[in-house]
Amino acid sequence: MFKRKPADSPRTETEDLRFEVASQLQLTWWKFRKHKLAMFSAVIVILLYLTAAFGEFIAPYGGITTNSKFVHAPPQTLHLFSEDGFGLHVYGYTMERDPRTLERIWTVDSSAKIPVGLFVRGEPYKMWGLIPGDLHLIGPKNPGDPFFLLGTDRIGRDVFSRIVHSARISLTVGLVGIALTFILGILIGGISGLVGGRLDDAIQRLIEILISIPTLPFWLALAAMVPITWSSLQTYFMISIILTLLSWMGLARVVRSKFLALRNEDFVLAAKLDGCSNWRLITSHMLPSFMSHIIASVTLSIPGMIIGETALSFLGLGLRPPIVSWGVMLQDAQRISAIANYPWLLTPAAAIFITVLSMNFLGDGLRDAADPYQS
Amino acid sequence: MNSQNLLMDVKDLRIFFFTDEGVVKAVNGVNMQIYRGRTLCLVGESGCGKSVACRAFLNIIRSPGRIVTGEMKYYRQTNGSMADVVDIAKLDPRGKQIRQIRGKEISMIFQEPMTSLSMMHTIGDQIIETILLHNKVTKAEARKRAIEMLDRVGMPKPDRIVDEYPFRLSGGMRQRAMIAMALSCNPSLLIADEPTTALDVTTQAQIVDLIRDLQKQFNMSVLYITHDLGVVAEVADDVAVMYLGKIVEFGDVEIIFHHPKHPYTQALLRSIPKISREREELDPIQGMVPSPFRRPTGCQFHPRCTQAMEKCRQIEPRITQVGENHAVQCLLYETL
Amino acid sequence: MTTTDTQISSPNKMAAPDNLLEVNGLKKHFPIVKGVFSAAQGNVKAVDDVSFHIRKGETVGLVGESGCGKTTVGRCIVRAYPVTDGTMRYRMRDDSVIDLAAVPEKELSPFRRDIRMIFQDPYSSLNPRMTIFEAVSEVLRVNNLCSPSEMQDRVSSLLRRVGLRPEYMQRYPHAFSGGERQRIVVARALITNPRLVVCDEAVSALDVSIRAQILNLLEELQADFDLTYLFISHDLSVIRHICDRVVVMYVGKVVEVADALDLYSRPRHPYTEALLSAVPLADPRGREQRKHIHLQGEIADPANPPQGCYFHPRCKFAQQICREQTPELRVLDKKRQVACHFAEAIQLNGVIS
Repeated sequence: MFKRKPADSPRTETEDLRFEVASQLQLTWWKFRKHKLAMFSAVIVILLYLTAAFGEFIAPYGGITTNSKFVHAPPQTLHLFSEDGFGLHVYGYTMERDPRTLERIWTVDSSAKIPVGLFVRGEPYKMWGLIPGDLHLIGPKNPGDPFFLLGTDRIGRDVFSRIVHSARISLTVGLVGIALTFILGILIGGISGLVGGRLDDAIQRLIEILISIPTLPFWLALAAMVPITWSSLQTYFMISIILTLLSWMGLARVVRSKFLALRNEDFVLAAKLDGCSNWRLITSHMLPSFMSHIIASVTLSIPGMIIGETALSFLGLGLRPPIVSWGVMLQDAQRISAIANYPWLLTPAAAIFITVLSMNFLGDGLRDAADPYQS
Repeated sequence: MNSQNLLMDVKDLRIFFFTDEGVVKAVNGVNMQIYRGRTLCLVGESGCGKSVACRAFLNIIRSPGRIVTGEMKYYRQTNGSMADVVDIAKLDPRGKQIRQIRGKEISMIFQEPMTSLSMMHTIGDQIIETILLHNKVTKAEARKRAIEMLDRVGMPKPDRIVDEYPFRLSGGMRQRAMIAMALSCNPSLLIADEPTTALDVTTQAQIVDLIRDLQKQFNMSVLYITHDLGVVAEVADDVAVMYLGKIVEFGDVEIIFHHPKHPYTQALLRSIPKISREREELDPIQGMVPSPFRRPTGCQFHPRCTQAMEKCRQIEPRITQVGENHAVQCLLYETL
Repeated sequence: MTTTDTQISSPNKMAAPDNLLEVNGLKKHFPIVKGVFSAAQGNVKAVDDVSFHIRKGETVGLVGESGCGKTTVGRCIVRAYPVTDGTMRYRMRDDSVIDLAAVPEKELSPFRRDIRMIFQDPYSSLNPRMTIFEAVSEVLRVNNLCSPSEMQDRVSSLLRRVGLRPEYMQRYPHAFSGGERQRIVVARALITNPRLVVCDEAVSALDVSIRAQILNLLEELQADFDLTYLFISHDLSVIRHICDRVVVMYVGKVVEVADALDLYSRPRHPYTEALLSAVPLADPRGREQRKHIHLQGEIADPANPPQGCYFHPRCKFAQQICREQTPELRVLDKKRQVACHFAEAIQLNGVIS
């Protein structure tokens, strides 16, 4: 009869077992690690969100603290060394009066030295509105001294502090939108891909119509309809929803095409022949296959939302004071005279630029790493 | 088998791939000879390096792979008897010399006719392009030649097909179109990389017969790469058996099939199901092909070899000539 | 198809007592959808009136080229999708007979355990995100076939039986080679102790030397577990090796059914003869004398097959009747069925003397 042959000997014990037992998550991580730019961007993004979380601690001043004395003060550069040796410090201001307008004009005076410290006591705050404290990451050693790393605006508010506080709003408005996009995208894309037929066609045509709508005018129109009397929190959520309405389509299409492709895979058929219900097929067998793609896709749509919110607020139709966001800050930079005379008012744009760029690189890295089985 | 008839002489060819995970020695010391007017079959399983090796003949190895060492002496017969020798391994892959050879003197056909023909151009355009690249003829003449070629490869209604797009043709017809393209400039060597693997068995028989006919008509050499030993028996004049980047046995087809010397060749022949009166038991090769990063020491086949000796683990065998047209790389035959 | 109790389970409705499966008049049509609003325009008749039977314990081969419908037949039998027409009578363990084609989707569970499938591509038939333990035991889990504690043991012993080390249960498919993965696929098919296994090109995607390992494994397991195989393949050498009887298909229809040795020695249908002559023999001696039969034309399109006998445009024996009348699959002698008007008259050559 038939002889029993010894089994294939699978890899020897001396081999590296890590690869073999690595789950999909670990393989994705290893592949992501190789993408240096994405790793670097991931660090930046983490720092940005930490800033958003601990804004009160990181910023020297509050987001709406005014200082009527130091209006339109230029930025003070941080120095490490002086004639007296090592020590953080900035230079103080001298004031002149403009002869025609009688406005105060501040310039940095290199003779006046203001010592700066880390973890100093300063303006009191309530972290997240709950925990009181007055410790700041960086600030003047004498609480009364002016410390404006990026200058001040037209009512004496510290631009640097406001940028830090804005991070919380600008970076999270995107997140609420993302959560909504995620749910809508998977639901609609999933139904479209799985049910197929006429329903799929109808949904696809709807998506095509929606994609053709120019986003900015649409957002403006909806934002203009938000009542002024609404509280800042309500406005915040409403803006998030508005931003989501036109951004779930991309994800829905990705989800649909993945479902369509997976439907015909042998392992899905094998699971069906095992007796899996449709629900189990979707959740246990198909979704895990492309969850990483979804995450990558979603990460890549966050920048769009951040820019959307910025655009709306810049035009005065998004968030309004007392909420501070980068878009709101950029409203002050709308006049040529402002930019020409006080260019530091544009620094929020740099913050947006860095955020969007690092999110894009991160999303790219995630998308490339998402399928660890592709070379 | 005298050297007068030698078309291609490959000595110690090594092609390595420098990947993130390590160096893959895809072709690791290959020696073979292709003679004029004869078909050499390069046979081996997946991962043996046969596809990489055949791409070396046209110097189209892509990064991260490169030809590390070795020579591929191509004996061009320009006019008369004096042969002009070119070492393809030394040619610049993007240089003028190799481009003159590609498509004109050495052509190639591939496994997947779906992906090897451009879907954006008609069959005629693709053949005409090849002709015009290498011959100073008018477009009208090139078109006439293209139609002639299509007829010679057995394409029905060639004057209509010449204006068709590939997606309208079946797999067998596309493969014929690709052969027409490859032979349009009358090459001395045709490289066929698994040309029938993706085809149905009746179509495969037609294409195999076609290649054999055309070889006689055009008096050219064929390098036929396959994993199917049945096809080898049908088309080959000479056979090179490849395992893990090395040629373990080389010889005349009758000798390889009826008097194989290398244990791998013998095991391979024993493991294929044959159509015969009695149902014979299959004798599989134990174990599996090792990963390219963890190749065995000494003779690479020794962990799976039924005739392995102690020294096989340490010593790498050299090539031993065991007959007029028969060479083996195995310690069983090495006389020291 | 409406069903009544008597139709679904009525004893002695099979042609022979030792038949495990009887397929009669099986049809599977796929609508061609075109246009902006997905209007159906005609059908691809992938399977068009197929009938054959499988006896308990035997290995029946289903062979043909692309477009013949053999894979679709296999999928119909495992009810991957509903059939368009026809019956598939299956003998249960208690000897009652059930028409698999008529069973509603919700009641398929018991059959899903008895009839299992081995897929072709070991790289796409295992979910890369599941460990092989999860993949093999999924069917047990979904159908509550055993307790979680037993599951480990069952999977373990079956993996050992197919030649894998059970310690590797927690590994993912990418850790295994093609041959090993196919063993996992075999284990997944057999974990429920099935009676009928449909092998859909089970060795076609494997290396030559691994093929022999898996074929031997399949034969051993058939003896050990008392299995019946429907072996679908396009490789006639493999079919000759492993099958007892062979069913030859062309463009959705059966053209010939015979015992393996009979078929290969003396085919009775011109297509079978051409198919056999095209198989390359692994022996260079005598190759100049072996002429392949070249069929003119292309394989017929299942969406638009020719009138009459589907094979007639390529057949050297075609007559007027072949162009008009589709031949029935009829019994030629005791164990042979052919669908050809001139089966008795023509003399054809086989490949075994």
